[in-house]
Amino acid sequence: MSGLFDLFNGFATLLTPTMLFHAAWATLLGIVVGSLPGLTATMGVALMTTLTYSLDSTTAILVLICMYVGAIYGGSRSAILLNIPGTPASAATALDGYPLAKAGRAGYAMGLATAGSALGTLAGVVMLVLIAPPLAEAALNFGSFEFFWLAVFGILISGQLTADTTPLKGYIAGILGLAVAMIGSEGIHAHVRFNMGISDLNAGIALIPAMVGAFGFAEVLTAMWNKAGELATKKDKSDRTIPHMVDLWRYKFTIAKSGLIGTMVGIIPGVGEDIGAWASYATARKSSKEKEKFGHGSYEGLIAAETGNSAVVPGSLIPAITLAVPGSASSAVLIAALFIHGIRPGPLIMIEQPHFVGLISAMVVIATVFMAIYGLTLTKAFVQVLRVPYSYLMPVVFVLCVIGTYALSQRIFDIWIMVAFGVIGFVLRQMKYPMAPLVLGIILGDLLDKSLRRGLTLSDGELAPFFARPVSAGFVALIVLSIAMNIPVVRRGVLAPFRWIGARFNA
Amino acid sequence: MQMALADRLMAIVFLALGLALLVGGYTMERLEIRQIHPASIPGLVPMILGVLLSICAALLLMTSFRSADADGVDPDLVLSGGSWTRLGLTVVVCTVYALGLVGWLPYFWATFLFTLTFSLIFSFPVTGDIRAQVISAAGSLALAVAVALGTMLLFRDLFLVRLP
Repeated sequence: MSGLFDLFNGFATLLTPTMLFHAAWATLLGIVVGSLPGLTATMGVALMTTLTYSLDSTTAILVLICMYVGAIYGGSRSAILLNIPGTPASAATALDGYPLAKAGRAGYAMGLATAGSALGTLAGVVMLVLIAPPLAEAALNFGSFEFFWLAVFGILISGQLTADTTPLKGYIAGILGLAVAMIGSEGIHAHVRFNMGISDLNAGIALIPAMVGAFGFAEVLTAMWNKAGELATKKDKSDRTIPHMVDLWRYKFTIAKSGLIGTMVGIIPGVGEDIGAWASYATARKSSKEKEKFGHGSYEGLIAAETGNSAVVPGSLIPAITLAVPGSASSAVLIAALFIHGIRPGPLIMIEQPHFVGLISAMVVIATVFMAIYGLTLTKAFVQVLRVPYSYLMPVVFVLCVIGTYALSQRIFDIWIMVAFGVIGFVLRQMKYPMAPLVLGIILGDLLDKSLRRGLTLSDGELAPFFARPVSAGFVALIVLSIAMNIPVVRRGVLAPFRWIGARFNA
Repeated sequence: MQMALADRLMAIVFLALGLALLVGGYTMERLEIRQIHPASIPGLVPMILGVLLSICAALLLMTSFRSADADGVDPDLVLSGGSWTRLGLTVVVCTVYALGLVGWLPYFWATFLFTLTFSLIFSFPVTGDIRAQVISAAGSLALAVAVALGTMLLFRDLFLVRLP
């Protein structure tokens, strides 16, 4: 009940004209950013972080949350109209959204996507309010041993689930991120590592320049490299943007299931919205009575994908706030932004700022309301946004990448870091190395390093406590299982009982 | 370039990086003079990461040979299907702006030049009629002024940033 009380308190703080004004423009900007292929939610949040330095902490975080929620939803616009997901999160949306648009039902597809996104986000908010406080309290019992394994588990599972081809590339991306985090002064003895004689590297590589490079400049390069999509312009006279309630009611179980799956995927460190959408889509397809319609303009498929990806947003905030372990790449930037604005995410959040979970949940709800309003009323305007040529858009994005990065510490060196990460990020992406584990590695590197060495110091060099303490042992079991699941024989053995139960249910 | 070949090249790069981390961690100062616990030496985690990266690189190298052997041809291509000209021009224009012009010229002029050049390169209709060319040039000019002036005022006057 205290979670609900904090949520209402959050609304009381946020329902002022100034806050609503900030929520309104930030959500709209988020939808525009998300709807443009090549501009992702992470890039939007990273760039917006650089524009919110001067705002007070509550307003700044509200703006970033609205940008995040708006951008994840906005990706569905171009997925439906161009068959190019505006953000990776909307890749599954394109499967059924674009066929509907080709059939002249683009408006209705966007309406369903809006409804699915709104319901998915709200389902995630409920979980955020319910799960975050007890999780933070449980995490208060974590010591160095548990935090070490949590960091290892986060990077491992992120690498495993976000890799396009082989998990090996995900693991490599995670290790590279950790290696980047090793640069600069370490957290226990303040010894400077790997600065290569460059004094600017003594403090390490800041997350924001690295993120703006990996998600901003790399996306500018990707957008200019790729071919432009073809806009679906056919219009059916019966098309409408307000979804029929009967359609939403018919798919109520799909919405509930997708909301739950999306939130759970969000809680898993560094996995992100695209996996939430695909997992929800696959589950909906498996249990659907209209399997044959999936991929050919299925309402159910579209709703499942959009509900799934939007539910990841509040889901990813759960570990981000309570453990300082991001559930997605965008929430990794949010963690950095929280630190910039004087809020320390982690287990102590419920002691230092006990109302923060309620406040951030209220922010997500307000962003969702604006998202739904814009989604249902500004359909035609968003179509016009997709017509903006890249030759005009991309220089603006890159200028913001440069000046936003510079503004953080007013160092030209940060611009160099941004450019380096942009070029490396582009090459790695082309070779199918996922970016999420890399980012997670950078953000968790310090935690992993300090926890391991502090734990070893506490145990006087003994490894036993890393394996014998109950939570640590649980993490070790999960890690071993995650790696072993890459071996086909083990995977078949582990999944056999689940398949057997599933077959009994279907029979 | 085929994915298997790209994987092989990257595996060599990662192997070198892994070994560098291992050696760098091993030779890193152990701070004995400060009498720290031997298990908390700063080079510990870099050494572990070096070993892990080297193992992953070796596995990547092995799997790249195996995937090419399995079906004879590797259908996955890296850096294909896009425009090399557009990519090359973007990299050159962006890096010249970020690493050269910013800090050398006043921020307004650096940004103005960059935005004008970028938009003209990618939107100017070289083979189009005069009217289209004038519209394109005017659009690029207006955008360049707006972006340079807008970001300058925003960051300098609102966010109080001392611009480069």
